Amino acid sequence: MSSSADSGSDRAESLHGRIGHQVQLPFVNAVRIAWRNIRVRLARSLLVTSGIILALAFLTYILCSDSLARNIAEQGQTRYVEQLLKQGILADLGDADARVQTWWLVGLALLVSFVGILNAMLLSVTERFKEIGTMKCLGALDGLIVQLFLLESTFQGVVGTAIGITIGVLLTLVEGMGLYGATMWTLVPVGNMAALVGICLLAGTGLTIVGALYPAWRAAKMQPVDAMRAEI
Amino acid sequence: MPEKPQEAEVPEVMLATETAAPKRGAEEDKAGLLAVHVIRAVGVKRIFYLGGEPVNALRGVDLSVKRGEYVSIMGPSGSGKTTLFNMIGGLDKPDQGHVYIDEVDVAALDTFELAWLRCHKIGYIFQTFNLIPVASAIENVMFPMLFAGTTQAEAQQKAAELLKRVGLGARIFHKPVALSGGQQQRVAVARALANDPAIVLADEPTGNLDLHTGEEIIRMLEGLKEDFHVTVMSATHDHKMLAASDRVVYLSDGAISHIKRREELDIKFGTLQGDDKGVG
Repeated sequence: MSSSADSGSDRAESLHGRIGHQVQLPFVNAVRIAWRNIRVRLARSLLVTSGIILALAFLTYILCSDSLARNIAEQGQTRYVEQLLKQGILADLGDADARVQTWWLVGLALLVSFVGILNAMLLSVTERFKEIGTMKCLGALDGLIVQLFLLESTFQGVVGTAIGITIGVLLTLVEGMGLYGATMWTLVPVGNMAALVGICLLAGTGLTIVGALYPAWRAAKMQPVDAMRAEI
Repeated sequence: MPEKPQEAEVPEVMLATETAAPKRGAEEDKAGLLAVHVIRAVGVKRIFYLGGEPVNALRGVDLSVKRGEYVSIMGPSGSGKTTLFNMIGGLDKPDQGHVYIDEVDVAALDTFELAWLRCHKIGYIFQTFNLIPVASAIENVMFPMLFAGTTQAEAQQKAAELLKRVGLGARIFHKPVALSGGQQQRVAVARALANDPAIVLADEPTGNLDLHTGEEIIRMLEGLKEDFHVTVMSATHDHKMLAASDRVVYLSDGAISHIKRREELDIKFGTLQGDDKGVG
């Protein structure tokens, strides 16, 4: 026990050291702890993530197929325009009501996934009251608690969003193949769709972080005494 | 008994900076007189409100604990033991009075200083062990060190040594659920010692353990007190757990009713084990 078996006088002197300032835990350590928390509660994490996946797949699909149809219409591919009109896809593009409806659906999907995240994170905080209290007793700062919960949520958000976007884009392309055949590949608005994917990525990740803010804040503000007294 | 410091010279209210007393203390310590009071509670009062009704959890507790002492706080549940512990541990602040740890008023500390105090100066042992369930034994012991800024490798090495010291060398990678109550409390003891604290606060450390395991934990605390030069404050309502104490403080209804020294205890109990009649 090298560090604890200092010579008597050194030890005595260190005992009289002034009260110091607690240091922030290095970010990499916080990441490690958050990652383990997810791994241990994998089933719950997957449930939350699946909500995000569904919402983001839907959002991405709506945005990308819309973009693809527009591009095809704009390129003047008349043989497809007729088909698009017949299928009601192109009509949607001009039909304000239908568009509003679609956006309502997208909004609802996002809201459901947001509430899901909020709920899961609140539950996660509640079931860990004692753990949070103990961490604070051991010297964890409020900032670390916030970091841990936000990181946990961000991991789930990024993974869920990435999977959701992939599914959304694949759906768009598969559907496009069905509708327009192989020529579709020449008509994919790559730049536009990349931008949309970027927006979806931001939306999905942002959503999870915003959903975790309140639970994380609640966890951090809890007094250790109350946290440990809490009966669940 | 070592010479007492001149208490009159220690100002009543002392802030975290620029006072002469701790310096003087350090000099005394170098001279081998570890006599400065590491814990000093002065007129500590705490009132809780339960359903609007005020409850006097502590009604003015004065208590000084010397460095290296093993003090047991004895009293029935509801006598204010845990409240007093929370005050000393920097987890709660008194409504009236002051708590000094190494002559620093705990109430005067900001969030960062309080966290530092909890991390470096105080080691906690709880009745319910309070290990982090998702972390292994060694990770649990590493937490306070990581919070203190120790590197991963150093923390790992020291945690392994500490676990070996408490007799858990072979089970360091087990999760708390895979450990018995006594083993979990051993992990908690190792964790409490992780940052070489000045004080170990043990709130009913044997409350959830059977008699034999409880005694083992108490003996271990007694041994560690010597090895690590820590001050141990332990709350209990079990007379059998007083054997290691230098002093026993009897708390009743939020106030100290009386204090007994080790010698007086010996007379009272004869053997300190198995005698449940005791005071009270």
